[in-house]
Amino acid sequence: MSGFSFMAILAMGQAFPILVRGIDLSIGATVGLVGMVVFDLSLIFGMPGYGIIPLALVAGTLAGALNGVLIVYLRLQPFIATLATLAAFRGLTYTISGRQLVPGLSTTPIRDPWITGIETYFDVGGWLGLSRLVNMPWVPLSFFIMLAVFAVLQILLLATRFGRDTFATGGNHEAARLAGIQVKAVTIAAYAISGFCAAIAALIMVARFTTATEALGTGMELTAIAAAVIGGVSLAGGIGSMFGPALGAFLLGAILIGLTLQGVPQFVQQIITGLILLAAVGYDRLLLVRRQRRLAMAAAV
Amino acid sequence: MAAAAVSAALARHAAPNALSIAMAVIIVAITLLEPAFMSADNLVGIVRQVAIIGIMATCMTFVIMTGGIDLSVGPVLALAGLVSFYCLQADFPLVVVIAAGLSVGFIVGLMNGLTIAFLGLPPIIVTLAMLSIVRGTALIVGGPEQHLIRNEPAYSFIGTGNLLGLPFAVYIFAAIAVLMILVQRHTPLGLLVAAIGNNERAAWLSGHRVRLTKTAVYAISGTGAALAGIILSSQVHTALATYGPFGTELDVIAAVVLGGTSIMGGNGSVARTLLGVFFLGILNNGMNILNVPIDIQLIAKGAIIVVALAVAARRG
Repeated sequence: MSGFSFMAILAMGQAFPILVRGIDLSIGATVGLVGMVVFDLSLIFGMPGYGIIPLALVAGTLAGALNGVLIVYLRLQPFIATLATLAAFRGLTYTISGRQLVPGLSTTPIRDPWITGIETYFDVGGWLGLSRLVNMPWVPLSFFIMLAVFAVLQILLLATRFGRDTFATGGNHEAARLAGIQVKAVTIAAYAISGFCAAIAALIMVARFTTATEALGTGMELTAIAAAVIGGVSLAGGIGSMFGPALGAFLLGAILIGLTLQGVPQFVQQIITGLILLAAVGYDRLLLVRRQRRLAMAAAV
Repeated sequence: MAAAAVSAALARHAAPNALSIAMAVIIVAITLLEPAFMSADNLVGIVRQVAIIGIMATCMTFVIMTGGIDLSVGPVLALAGLVSFYCLQADFPLVVVIAAGLSVGFIVGLMNGLTIAFLGLPPIIVTLAMLSIVRGTALIVGGPEQHLIRNEPAYSFIGTGNLLGLPFAVYIFAAIAVLMILVQRHTPLGLLVAAIGNNERAAWLSGHRVRLTKTAVYAISGTGAALAGIILSSQVHTALATYGPFGTELDVIAAVVLGGTSIMGGNGSVARTLLGVFFLGILNNGMNILNVPIDIQLIAKGAIIVVALAVAARRG
């Protein structure tokens, strides 16, 4: 459970660009960039954690918003724009890397209580008195952060005007624009949310490792996309909620942990991950075909 | 008013040739800063360096023209190298070795194509899943250790040999490029690919074999990646399951897209993909020669791709 909260957060963030019929390949690089920002602020500038956390979140959100701006104003394809920023953010991470700039820092752990505090475990079972009945594992703070992110984003998506605009923009961009929806602002916001979630994930990971490396987050975008799609967020845009991606991330995580405990080698796990992904999109497709057939039947009657 | 006129002129004249112009500017700038860039050795070196990405990019152009994408090329490259290595170990003749290596890519490409064309699943997810599956397979087949290819002069010639003063890999690259350009210009497949990318349903309604064509383009892309894997393993005398790491497929796609092929499908040309390949190759080589640190290289690469494509988008 502790290992996959950050992936669920990334997957929920990723759902927003996919909902507006885009994709965000840069979140892994954003995780790396924000991680290094935290590393620098804490170890080079000696900033206290309560100052670092908001700055890190702002950095991630800005990185995401930049993607949105490139897509909306330069009219780049989301795939290409975020591919380019993937390279750029990773490069920037190397540039600002305190590991390279200040010799000796690479072996210094981050000890700020605000940061390391994210990696706290709570004996929930003990409080509720359940541990007398069943053996409950301690629950990490990151799990509660994940729940909070889930609640906020789900409400944002299902109960606000922004949420409805997001579905409309993803469902039919041109129709949404003609209906007076600010599709440009909605698109930029979707990518900003993705960057914001990447920043939260970065904080969780830095807290766990008590350090950040230049390669932090490499390849995570693909797992996040996989989790979102497994969770039923349609790549065609306009369909999905926060429940699916969160569940998808935990499903992937649970299966992989289960396989590891069964002693299945890592290599086979990669193959199984791929097969799960194929099965998930296959099922998604099946539902779509059925839906269309039902609509056609209804129209015929 | 003046700004609008300039913008219109830019759209008419500069946009279609943005990449060529940017390339010329970069070549002049690098040459002025470091004349060694223009030496014959370095120029041949650039072609040799881009041969592997170049073969994959020319073979993936059709996939992207149909509105698809192939993310699985990196692990295919690794698996093809490994299969070739084991065939060499078993003392098969060279022809069989190469055929076995290429068939790896062909089969993976075929599976991609059949799943995408006949089940109608989104290419990005299918090939992403295949990336994971093939990488896992490569790791099972090859394990984590390096396999040295020794005392195989004929196989090593593919990647390291010289013919008439040029590396043999350059001839392979040139042959593939010419072949793919001919396929695009002079065969029904080339036309059909563009038709599918423009309007798949219209192509299907006109009685074309849309599914078969889509299957074929993924098979071509996979085979190209396998060929690149054979060349790579021959060049470095090693087969390794982790070759073609994450990011390889993105480099290949970047080259195709820089060449003006639309990621939404329809527009595109193999010849212009070559331009994209050389643009990235020259950029990498020039920045290496000028001793630009890796971080600045990554940022510059991202920024240049954005600028080049943003200018190209003005065309539309």
